[in-house]
Amino acid sequence: MLQFVNTLLTGLGQGAVYAAFALALVLIWRATRVVNFAQGAMAAFTTYLALLVVESTGSWWVGLLTALAAGLVLGAGVERVVVRRVGPHNELGAVIVTLGLFVALQALAAILFGAQFRSFPAPAGLEGFALGSVTIALTPSMLITVGAVAVVLLGLVALFRFTDVGLRMRASAFDGEVARLLGVPVGRMLTLGWALAALVGSLAGVLIAGGSLVWPAYMDTVIVNGFVAAVLGGLDSPGGAVVGGLAMGVILALVTGYVGSDLVPLAALAVLVAVLLVRPQGLFARTAARRV
Amino acid sequence: MRRSRRVRALTALALGAVLALAGCGAGGRPDPGSGGGAASGGSTVGITADSVKVGSHFPLTGVAAPGYSEIPTGTKAYFDWVNAHGGVNGRKIDYVFRDDAYNPTQTSQVVNELVLQDQVFAILGGLGTPTHGAVLDFLGAEGVPDLFVSSGSLLWDQPRKYPTTFGWQPDYEIEAKILADHVATTFPQARVGLFLQNDDVGEDAERGIRRYLDKQIVSVQRYTPGNTDIGPQMSALQAANADLVIGFNVPSYTALTQLQGLKLNYRPQWVYSNIGADPVLVGSLLGRFSQGQVTDAALLDGMITDEYLPRADNPSDAWTAQFDAIWKAHGDGGALTNFRIFGMSQGYAFVQALLAAGPNPTREGLVQAIEKGGTRFAGPWAAPYRFTADKHSGISGAKVVRVTGDSTTALGPVRVTDNGDAPITDATNGETPVPPNGIPAAPGGT
Repeated sequence: MLQFVNTLLTGLGQGAVYAAFALALVLIWRATRVVNFAQGAMAAFTTYLALLVVESTGSWWVGLLTALAAGLVLGAGVERVVVRRVGPHNELGAVIVTLGLFVALQALAAILFGAQFRSFPAPAGLEGFALGSVTIALTPSMLITVGAVAVVLLGLVALFRFTDVGLRMRASAFDGEVARLLGVPVGRMLTLGWALAALVGSLAGVLIAGGSLVWPAYMDTVIVNGFVAAVLGGLDSPGGAVVGGLAMGVILALVTGYVGSDLVPLAALAVLVAVLLVRPQGLFARTAARRV
Repeated sequence: MRRSRRVRALTALALGAVLALAGCGAGGRPDPGSGGGAASGGSTVGITADSVKVGSHFPLTGVAAPGYSEIPTGTKAYFDWVNAHGGVNGRKIDYVFRDDAYNPTQTSQVVNELVLQDQVFAILGGLGTPTHGAVLDFLGAEGVPDLFVSSGSLLWDQPRKYPTTFGWQPDYEIEAKILADHVATTFPQARVGLFLQNDDVGEDAERGIRRYLDKQIVSVQRYTPGNTDIGPQMSALQAANADLVIGFNVPSYTALTQLQGLKLNYRPQWVYSNIGADPVLVGSLLGRFSQGQVTDAALLDGMITDEYLPRADNPSDAWTAQFDAIWKAHGDGGALTNFRIFGMSQGYAFVQALLAAGPNPTREGLVQAIEKGGTRFAGPWAAPYRFTADKHSGISGAKVVRVTGDSTTALGPVRVTDNGDAPITDATNGETPVPPNGIPAAPGGT
């Protein structure tokens, strides 16, 4: 029983990170209709910057703020300098450019920060809470992760549902021409979308790094599982992304604990295929997925 | 139209940049053509009257680089020292090592280049099971002596199939046998859990462990390298009430198991294999996880592992003192580490083998000399090699130790054994004295 609870808790902690990452994918999808494969590499890059700051200041929180600021700048920069040049009607081109960015950024991170394993400090304690005589796999650091994901989720929902900026962003993404005719500064909205998405991605990067090891490719599994989580929830739905992320975390933890760790990548793939076969628009999307 | 062309040009440019970067990662190697290095009676490729060229491959970048990338710097320092003392029979050793990033595809590339382009006489200490496994056929077909592979896999002991390949360190099976035998006699009541890397490291180890602990094992958990979430495996070990866990894993996973144990308040007696147990490296990974909340090696204190080479932190050992002098003279200014001692010991082993091959070594002569005299080659290693014409396995034993702080304490004498059901006995060879200048003399009486 304790094993089941602990496996479940480990899965939820991991799932919260997948959720944060899936939220970034959802955000950029809603704001620009592009799936950003470079998200993970961008996050790894900003996490390295955070690590430098944490090591020199000794404060995890200053490191987090650095990563978030760097993510904001990096996201806006990538949109302005690279993605915009591919053109507004070339969605496949934009996706391929993000793949290229993924490889280039990862290589750049290895050149700048070195390719070896480095440990990343945790925001708070790494010892599980004790309930009487048993210790459960829930740590103060995990609570911070979960709290951060909840804040981002609420923030995103509020942004898209209750603010003018959110409405403009959705309009720009849905039909740039019409939005422009109606007076929406479409270019600025796209830049904002990329910047916000990169910010959320950076948050996921720092959260998963805390109390674990980082190396230039450490986000690779998060990219795959976060992507599956986003598809699971429907690329359009922030709530769906969070549920999808938590579900992925729990499913993979149960597979590791009770079946075998070598089946984890296969399990992620199986979930992806099952979702695409049974409900291609995702579990929570209200509109049908666009066929491309 | 113009715009789309520009887009295409930019895309091509970006792709070009990506490819160039990827190329840098791989070392930008052209595919070498064929030719050169073919073995026919008495090949003297790579050896002249005043030089001998030796090549190797190591992960200098990537996930396997921490620690392991220091090994060739030790070997290089040792060869520089030997060269400064006149070389081997008047020949200076020219040592070339290349980065394969622990990627078998890149290993094939760099070893191709070493053999066909650089025309090395022999390969020495190539690191890694999947990586070196990828070049066995090639080296065998080219007749290149493939000495002292830096891995405990059983693959290197196939003299029929790979007549030029020789292992070096105690293989994972005998290492596991020696550790398991110690556990069975010292902790007969322990409920034993296993934490194994999900490849032949884990398989070879499990075979050795089960010979002594089959009835005591309560749970076997495996991890896939690259997946750092090992929470579920640790929960399973805890749920099975394993109070002693034997880990055959790489150093970063030693750090992760300790961290996860902290999370679950799960503190069994840990027994790690030599490959994952360097307290300095693991301690440095652990120390910074939580801004000092986890203090350095404190978590590792009391864990059990094994050793077959002198330790860097033990200057009272005559071999360590000698290696320290060599490192001070020819090192890169960094600290003398256990990994560098590993590399220097391999350099020592190579010089010894080359001397045994006589004044005018050929590739065939070198292989024959090791098969003929290998069991009598002595050096810094704790137990003799098992080299004969029918067996190419390396060091035959190790001593079980307990980690105390950054150092270790021996828990008994050096134990030696062989694969399969060979018994485990105390070593009879005793410690090998350091030869003058730390350079081996030509073995006599072969």
